[in-house]
Amino acid sequence: MEAVKQAQKKITRLVLTLSIIVGLVFIITGYKPVGKGLVLGAIFSVLNFIFMAKSIGFKFGRSKGQIFSISLGSIIFRYILLAIPLIAAVKFEQFNLIATIVGIFMIQLVILADHLLTFVPSGGGKSI
Amino acid sequence: MELEVETVIKIAAYTGSGIAMGLGAVGAAIGEGYTAARANLAVSRNPKISGDIFKNMLVGQAVAESASIFALVIAILLLFMDFASPSLLKAAAFLGAGLCMGFGAIGSGVGSGYPGGESCFGISQQPQAGSQLTTNMLIGSAVCQTPAIFSMVVALMLIFIDFGNAPLTPTWAAFVGAGLSMGLAAIGSGYGGGLAAGASCEGIARTPQAVTSVTTIMLVGQAVSQTPSIFGLLVSFILMFKTFPESSMLATPMALLGAGLCMGFGGIGPGIGNGMAAEGAVRWVARNVEHSNELMRIMLVGQAVSQSTAIYAMVVSLVLIFVV
Repeated sequence: MEAVKQAQKKITRLVLTLSIIVGLVFIITGYKPVGKGLVLGAIFSVLNFIFMAKSIGFKFGRSKGQIFSISLGSIIFRYILLAIPLIAAVKFEQFNLIATIVGIFMIQLVILADHLLTFVPSGGGKSI
Repeated sequence: MELEVETVIKIAAYTGSGIAMGLGAVGAAIGEGYTAARANLAVSRNPKISGDIFKNMLVGQAVAESASIFALVIAILLLFMDFASPSLLKAAAFLGAGLCMGFGAIGSGVGSGYPGGESCFGISQQPQAGSQLTTNMLIGSAVCQTPAIFSMVVALMLIFIDFGNAPLTPTWAAFVGAGLSMGLAAIGSGYGGGLAAGASCEGIARTPQAVTSVTTIMLVGQAVSQTPSIFGLLVSFILMFKTFPESSMLATPMALLGAGLCMGFGGIGPGIGNGMAAEGAVRWVARNVEHSNELMRIMLVGQAVSQSTAIYAMVVSLVLIFVV
């Protein structure tokens, strides 16, 4: 499971670094709600990914019924988690809705970008 | 019992939200489950590299989950947004948005599970091609999400665009039809794109040297598989943006609803059929790289023929919109 941990760490670090830098740029240039929305969405995207990764290891050595309950509970919990920034963006003007939506897709965007940027120049080199 | 406009809007928004998230969760869950099932098989075949397989499964599942997150976004917007100018037309638009996103996420969710699963299994066979397999899986899965993205765009338009003083009848049917046209047509394209992407991961695991030919044919095959969903998008746009004169006849709204249903259902089969043609071509290119040109030609001809039924559906939809 070490490989999973390492991949998870690398992806989450990239997402947080990137979203904080881009968010700060927006805040400094006067687009405060956009920056805050992006960072808020990205934080919850990272939390969702961490719980997703943790739930893989948590399922080992358990009965079928327990695995079913853990999987179902994990899915429900993760969807509720992702709903929080969206509800906050809908209800509070401090967070831009579009930026928050982009933020909750940061994990997927970074995974794709990292692989494509590493793969294309090296003709199939190593990535995450 | 007479209902106020705001109550009708709330009913439509809550129903739309339930449909969006309920149906939207179906595809991604099946896709992620398929990925996990193939990862189990892969670990049982080659337990020494279980870490690499789990890592690939995690990344694949994260991408496959996107379709259901699109649905979550639409569901939350429908549940919690406050709308300035409530009208009965908005209620129809909300219902259309929910239907559009709910149906539209199914195919992409299931489809993107295939490359995830096949790349896990492929890594167990060819551990040295792991990086190529993960990248190919991610490209294939990302393309699979396109129909779900189209559906989200149509749903967002239905939610946010102010359609002004359009008459309630028959415009309500046009909005619901727009949602159905895009949502249903996306099912086949998302699933079909997944078949091609899954076969390409299997092909790379079999013949890693054929990666360029396999990826190229996968992308061409997936692009053609997306065409029925583009037809669905086109009919949705016409239904949303064409101005329909007020009508008291029941036949007019039914024609517009029928147009949406016709294009929506009519796009499912061709999307899957095109995906099957692409899947076959990609699978055999990996075994016979020197004949990739002939295989691609056969794939494209097969897809063109399979596509014709989607074109018939689009023609009938356009007749229902412009002639009836």
